[in-house]
Amino acid sequence: MHSVWAVARNTIAQALRMKVAAVVIILLMVLLPMMSTILVGDGTLQGKLQTFVSYGLSLMTMLLCILTIAISTYTLSNDLRRKHIFMIVTKPISRFQIVLGKLCGVLILDAVLLVIFAVVIYTLTMFIPRLADAPEVQVKQAADEFFTARAALAVPEDKTEIEQQAWEVYRKLRDSGQLPPEMTSDRVLSELKGHQRMLSRSVPVNARKVWEFQNVRVRDPHEKLFVRFKYEVAVTPIDDKIHGVWEVGDTRQFQAGVGAWKTPIARVMRSDATRTMIEIEIPASVIADDGFVGVAFYNPSLNETTVIPEDVELLYRAGTFTANYLRVIMLIALRLVFLAALGVSASTWLSFPVAFLAAVAVFLLGMISGFIAESFEYVGGISGLLYDFTIKPLVWMLPRLDGDYNPTRFMVMGRLLSWGFLAQACAIMVFVKAGILTVFGIWVFSNREIAKTVV
Amino acid sequence: MASQGSEYAIETISLTKIFRDWWGRAKVIAVDKLDLKIEYNEIYGLLGPNGSGKTTTLKMLLGLLHPTKGAPFLLGGNGRDPRINERIGYLPEDSYLYRYLTARETLDFYGRIFGLPAKTRKSRIEALLEMVGLTGMANRPVGTYSKGMARRIGLAQALINDPELLILDEPTSGMDPIGTRQIKDLLAQLARRGKTILLCSHLLADVEDVCDRIGILYGGKMRVEGTVESLLQHTDEKQIVTSQISTAALEQIRNIVEREAATCRISSPMDRLEEFFIRTVTAAQQQGLATSGAMSTTKIGDFLREHAVKPDILDQLVAAGAHEDNQAASESTDDELTETEAVEPQADTDLLQSLADAGLGAPDTHKVEPRSADEPNPAPPTETVKRDVLDELIGRSEVDGGRTEAVDPDRTGDPQDA
Repeated sequence: MHSVWAVARNTIAQALRMKVAAVVIILLMVLLPMMSTILVGDGTLQGKLQTFVSYGLSLMTMLLCILTIAISTYTLSNDLRRKHIFMIVTKPISRFQIVLGKLCGVLILDAVLLVIFAVVIYTLTMFIPRLADAPEVQVKQAADEFFTARAALAVPEDKTEIEQQAWEVYRKLRDSGQLPPEMTSDRVLSELKGHQRMLSRSVPVNARKVWEFQNVRVRDPHEKLFVRFKYEVAVTPIDDKIHGVWEVGDTRQFQAGVGAWKTPIARVMRSDATRTMIEIEIPASVIADDGFVGVAFYNPSLNETTVIPEDVELLYRAGTFTANYLRVIMLIALRLVFLAALGVSASTWLSFPVAFLAAVAVFLLGMISGFIAESFEYVGGISGLLYDFTIKPLVWMLPRLDGDYNPTRFMVMGRLLSWGFLAQACAIMVFVKAGILTVFGIWVFSNREIAKTVV
Repeated sequence: MASQGSEYAIETISLTKIFRDWWGRAKVIAVDKLDLKIEYNEIYGLLGPNGSGKTTTLKMLLGLLHPTKGAPFLLGGNGRDPRINERIGYLPEDSYLYRYLTARETLDFYGRIFGLPAKTRKSRIEALLEMVGLTGMANRPVGTYSKGMARRIGLAQALINDPELLILDEPTSGMDPIGTRQIKDLLAQLARRGKTILLCSHLLADVEDVCDRIGILYGGKMRVEGTVESLLQHTDEKQIVTSQISTAALEQIRNIVEREAATCRISSPMDRLEEFFIRTVTAAQQQGLATSGAMSTTKIGDFLREHAVKPDILDQLVAAGAHEDNQAASESTDDELTETEAVEPQADTDLLQSLADAGLGAPDTHKVEPRSADEPNPAPPTETVKRDVLDELIGRSEVDGGRTEAVDPDRTGDPQDA
């Protein structure tokens, strides 16, 4: 342990005296406060907060990631290139301890920097509302939608049903000989699926659609629920406004008479612009005892068009902003751990520039991992076994840094990052992926000829 | 030493290293079926021209390179085993130090890897810094040091764990003559404490001065191996060194020699340049001239001496049945030496002074055949070297061994191989 610590200390000293860390620190120390005053977003308080947190966290994450990659790929490969390693491996220290020491050094440095900048960003965020002098409405909006950690529930699309319906239509067309001859059957099917999906989401005039949510639990019955959605329309109305009637509550009670309702059902009538996110606020008392909440949308004849409410979500406060911020920082820490393991592992067998480029490439691929996984999934469907044993594990090893794993998204939207999600991300990204990389690095390093000259 | 679990401190069995090119074709046979056996408490000099496989051998011993064939053993174990590494000190051919660490931090780093407790670490670092004469510059980054100064730190780090076995690759390269002399003295002292030393060098003078046994590598093969004396002494020649005598007496001697039908040369002896240099620098130091370079103290870290009386080392020495008579020899040397050492603290000009004094006071012990002034650089022909050494050995053994030994104690190690 003492030898791991000795190597870790030396790695930190190396990083600090390399001045890379200093550059990152100065850059952030200058940019963050500047951003907090310059950025305005859409002019509202919430917009300003969202823009600052979004840019601030992204910038910090990006710089720390690059710093981590730089140090982790540099430290061991430099020791090897400059032969410092000769004087270390001949001391009573195992090769795995050297690798772990390097890794620990990078991680300790990361942890310190991450804590410092997390505190800076948090403090600045907290000061923005005080300095902004915003109107009451905006302060309330910021409190409801930004300084919060809301859980978001959505009703997943029933894919099997859509597929079944698409097949049914397809069969009918085929039996009646109406399949377009110029299209392949796959193509026709996918078009049909798209059509069915649209059908299942759209609400014709005078029709009603209900989204059902289970297990909605709020911490305090005086809390509020939020229904969030966006209108898409078949024909855009002249004034670009859609009228809607929203009923939120235990919609199962509609069968019973009004007097027999156990919990209230909130009914909201409003007209909103299309293609913008709308949030309506509902008292939490509408939640049924078993945690059921139905959200019903009625398309009144006034609209004269089919309406497609998109991205319907039920939001409710499930944690505090501060605790959520802490978890977001931890999510950032996870990717730093992964990158540090990647960098050290790569530098056990690659020289600095090569290891650095490789790690940066993996990092950038990780930033679009969702897209990559999807596109390879498509290829994989065709190529089969070879794909399963070559590209698939590699694609799987890519860090997931985008989509649900993007830390700033949680902050900007005031979304809850649950402990469960964090634990799962930690298990996959740190214990499995970083673990595999570290073990691989140790294996390579333990078996390589330290003094071998590679020309 | 039965307790060591192996007969030899270093042993290689048919050690072979072949460097291959990318296609796997043998390119260079760096070390070829080398059987090296170095006993405990021996100073062994591994010689050879550039590219003869010395460093490659060391690297295989230490596990930095994998042998193509054969096996190396260090202290009866594997050079990659941390328990073995615990007991060895290694100085590579170049001091690969972290440029951004100061001398003190450098030693602290290595001390920490050894897991030395903070107190021991601190005291050892100070002792070592003083020993290598860098206390004044201990807080300067090593990157700003000259090569010789970096070498001193390199040596200090090799000693921080008070190793049983020292493996030194060109320890004196880039060092000034005083530093070179210090290292040689240090090695002799360590050897007297029962340490084993493997010295790799092509500075023949260094090897010759300190080593008990030498081996010369060429093309990865051991060409010659044996004690310095057995290899260098011309048993068919004799040398006589006298104080100032009359020409008439010289003529008489010449006559006697010629009566025996032998040849005879007569000339005045010269100082070795090393002695002369040390005298000059000592004089400058006594005048208190300023320097930003390394100070030449010859103090040896206390922790490196302390243990000399420790029972375990004594036990080991006694237990060395095979070396019983050398034992007697080296113990007697110890006695002679304590004198010199005892003077060292009070005479605050330290050992260096005593070295210089010895040089001045005992010119007659050092009278040798005249030789070219480039003596400290005796890289070339073995022929010359042999002659020099022969002269010196004879000059010493026949006139006055005692005083020389006190200064240059490593010589006294020789009897054990004689």
